[in-house]
Amino acid sequence: MSLLLRSIVLLLAFIAFTSAEHTSNWAVLVSTSRFWFNYRHLANVLSLYRTVKRLGIPDSQIILMLPDDMACNPRNAFPGTVYNNADRALDLYGDNIEVDYRGYEVTVENFIRLLTDRVGEDMPRSKRLLTDDRSNILVYMTGHGGNEFLKFQDAEEISAFDLADAFEQMWEKKRYHEMLFMIDTCQANTMYSKFYSPNILATGSSEIDQSSYSHHADNDVGVAVIDRYTYYNLDFLETQVREPSSKLTMGDLFDSYDEEKIHSHPGVRYDLFNGGEAAARSRLVMDFFGNVQNVEVEGGVGNETAWQEELQAIERMINDARRRHNESLTVLPEAEQAPTEKVARPSLKKEGAARVNADGGWSKQFAGAAALLGCVGVWAAGSWLESSK
Amino acid sequence: MSLITSLLALRRDARLLKIPPYLSALCVLVGIGWLLVLPLQEYSRGTYVSENALLPGQVHTYFTGSEHNIFRAYRHEVAELVHQPLEGRNQRLAEILRSSGLKVATQNYEYSASGRTISGQNVYGILQGPRADATEAIVLIAAWRNMDGEINHSGVALVLTLARYFKRWSLWSKDIIFLIAGDSTAGPQAWVDAYHDSHSPASIEPLSIKSGALQGAVAIDYPAGPWGHRFDKLHIVYDGINGQLPNLDLFNTAVSIASGQMGIGCTLQRMWKHDDSYQARLQTMLRGMISQGLGHASGPHSSFIPYHVDAITLQTVGDGWHDEMSLGRTVESLFRSLNNLLEHLHQSFFFYLLMQANRFVSIGTYLPSAMLIAVNFTITSIALWVQSGRAPNPPSPVSTNTKPSEAPKMIAIDRDGMVALIPEQYLTIIERKLFLPLAFVGSAHFLGLLPLYIFNNTSESSLTLTFHATTFLTLLLPQLTASALSLSPYRPSAQETILIQCLSLLLLGMFLSALATLNFSLAFLVGILATPLTFVRPTSSRPIAGLQTLLLVAVNPLVVITLATSYWAGGDVSQLRTVLVAAAEGWHVWGLWTQVVVWLVWWPAWFAESVVVAGSLFGKVVEAKSVKA
Repeated sequence: MSLLLRSIVLLLAFIAFTSAEHTSNWAVLVSTSRFWFNYRHLANVLSLYRTVKRLGIPDSQIILMLPDDMACNPRNAFPGTVYNNADRALDLYGDNIEVDYRGYEVTVENFIRLLTDRVGEDMPRSKRLLTDDRSNILVYMTGHGGNEFLKFQDAEEISAFDLADAFEQMWEKKRYHEMLFMIDTCQANTMYSKFYSPNILATGSSEIDQSSYSHHADNDVGVAVIDRYTYYNLDFLETQVREPSSKLTMGDLFDSYDEEKIHSHPGVRYDLFNGGEAAARSRLVMDFFGNVQNVEVEGGVGNETAWQEELQAIERMINDARRRHNESLTVLPEAEQAPTEKVARPSLKKEGAARVNADGGWSKQFAGAAALLGCVGVWAAGSWLESSK
Repeated sequence: MSLITSLLALRRDARLLKIPPYLSALCVLVGIGWLLVLPLQEYSRGTYVSENALLPGQVHTYFTGSEHNIFRAYRHEVAELVHQPLEGRNQRLAEILRSSGLKVATQNYEYSASGRTISGQNVYGILQGPRADATEAIVLIAAWRNMDGEINHSGVALVLTLARYFKRWSLWSKDIIFLIAGDSTAGPQAWVDAYHDSHSPASIEPLSIKSGALQGAVAIDYPAGPWGHRFDKLHIVYDGINGQLPNLDLFNTAVSIASGQMGIGCTLQRMWKHDDSYQARLQTMLRGMISQGLGHASGPHSSFIPYHVDAITLQTVGDGWHDEMSLGRTVESLFRSLNNLLEHLHQSFFFYLLMQANRFVSIGTYLPSAMLIAVNFTITSIALWVQSGRAPNPPSPVSTNTKPSEAPKMIAIDRDGMVALIPEQYLTIIERKLFLPLAFVGSAHFLGLLPLYIFNNTSESSLTLTFHATTFLTLLLPQLTASALSLSPYRPSAQETILIQCLSLLLLGMFLSALATLNFSLAFLVGILATPLTFVRPTSSRPIAGLQTLLLVAVNPLVVITLATSYWAGGDVSQLRTVLVAAAEGWHVWGLWTQVVVWLVWWPAWFAESVVVAGSLFGKVVEAKSVKA
């Protein structure tokens, strides 16, 4: 009996292990504050947007919420741009940016509807979070917050309980596989304290009763351009996670947090994650910030040899076709091949090439003259036959 | 039950009536003491910028280099204009503004007050924010002549230079209006009235071009001549008409930018030397209070404040090493901060007393002071009301045995099977005769309209004479009225005399406590000067009545004005004329309410009390013993 039980447990563990694969990556990036003096919150979000795009998440899988338009604010000394650094080396607004929710569309209601997919039929796909139980989601939020709330646009606020319930609904509806929740605001860690749904890894910039601070201001733009916590996250992602094949783990990211530099105590919540701290820390940074190429094949493991044989057959066909193509190339007239040779051997002398060309020219002219004479002969013979009738 | 009974018994205690004068005195003392502790570290607060959007001093300023040459050139242009007639001068100024790419217009204005004409012309240009929506504007002002009558050479030149410089920035979220006012008080008043369409069209020309709602105004007062002058400090002037103040955030932003970003020290209320000691803080605060209490225009910015446009004047003072470019950069940074505003300044205080460039007390802390002073009148008034309803000479229950011959008539009352003996006087209801007191106090207040009219409609030359005549008349009038009343059939009884004082104090207390919330300083000053009115009483003793009369003469509003003027002018009596002319100008041009308070609140109260006291000098006062409190 105990053997059976143990084997069931093993089986379940195996299933759990095999299902620890995700097939798509999504990112929900939210700034919740508007107004010129909150420039940095929009810069935070745009910086992260740029990073996840660089690491491979396509625009179609990024939901970007921007409540204000800093680039076109009349106060912006550099119209049409948003920078996250006083060196102004990188324009975050750049040439390719897709804002999904903007201005007064960024509300608590829209945000929760987005997460839980309770949207009308006419909601465009670009504004929906089309995830399933194999999707990893990065939720990044920034704005002005307090103990267990985050302010949305000076008008309303989302509480830690709202957020926790929305995530629970997502779990129940199989809308995510694993989630990384990241928040940069004052008393940020209180925002994830109420979560109770599994497989959420949460991190925030500051403890309860602690403020989060901006990193530095740009004195020509005239405002602070980025927050500290986001700055040092980006610092890690941009300098350490250079390519999608990076094997750095979330543990490495969390270990990179330096309270001296961030000026607040960032927190991490592991307990909801399946496998606890060890599993959470071993997840790759790319599991959340990048896009995965993992493909799951329908139909199970048994077909693999047939599939391999098919692949080999296709490969043979391709090789055959390629060989035939190459042979057909060799029978083409010499003149067609000459230029490729020329390119291949640039040291070939021009005189030589000209001489070869001259020879070919004469023979061609002979052939052409002969053909013309032949045609004239045929025409003369034809007309003679017709007139003799 | 027994507690209530004993309290009710206490209500009848004669000793209770002795308390109010002491209570009033206590209120006055605590009120003054309250004000005196405010400058202490524990009771005042450091200033802070409350509005997030302002971000003071967070931008680099670029008003340097070649702009300096342009400034010098404009300063010489301005110097050339000094001797030109008004029209030619303003034409040239308009031309300069127009050449910077601004829309320019002029406005003529003409006021008359105290028989003289105040006229001039404003010239202004509007810089339309290139990406702004034209719904809001901020104003940069330089009056042609400053408050001291000097020509504002460098101030005007700086405004012209900044207009040219600001035009080249693309980041303005509001329009900027550059106003070169004809003078420091009437010009800005005419302009801001016309901007809000509340001018009198007969003498003030309407504005031909306008912009959006005004969000703030900064005036520059820098009278250095064509060869410049390096200054030491910025004197920030913030008092508005009628003691209204700009939002504290504007003041704080200016201080923060000037001292924090540019390293220019800031000072206020003409405190050229401020060592951060208790005395210096108190002096600054008191100067601020007197300025606020007078409610006069203290600079070109003052006229803007009644329209809820926060405004300050930056005045250069002293000899130092800061030049015009430092001032220009300060203004640039200040305008960048104002440009950041998303809504009207509203976050910080509108009611405050400053005691240093970076220390203040807010209304919640200082208001009790003036309120206590006002309450002292109300307490005495209530006590007098109670007293007026009592039978004369109420018996003291504890002393009934000492003089059995005067044992009062007792009445036996039988209630719920219990019998009590009660002196008859306790049960007599004394009717208050209110007609004469009401009519008298009412007419005293209407009488105040007379000097109010006279002083605002007398020509400048005869103003001082009129004032002295009025002083003389006012000092004599109570005695005349008292003797006239005592001879007339309406001779006031003792009760009516008490009621006159009661009603007049009641009104005074009411007016002052209401005024304290609007213009704290004026309420406080009038309250202190009117305090003797609480303590004077009709008396049978002539020497005491004489002393009281002397005291009342000393606190006569007109005598106080004369004494205060000669004190501040160092004995120069001719300054009285300046004060009276300014008051009349305030009435006709600025819409000043101080005179209303003086003539319709303070003076009638003084008059009523003086008549009460004079009553005991003339003829006998009925049963004087009984009305002694």
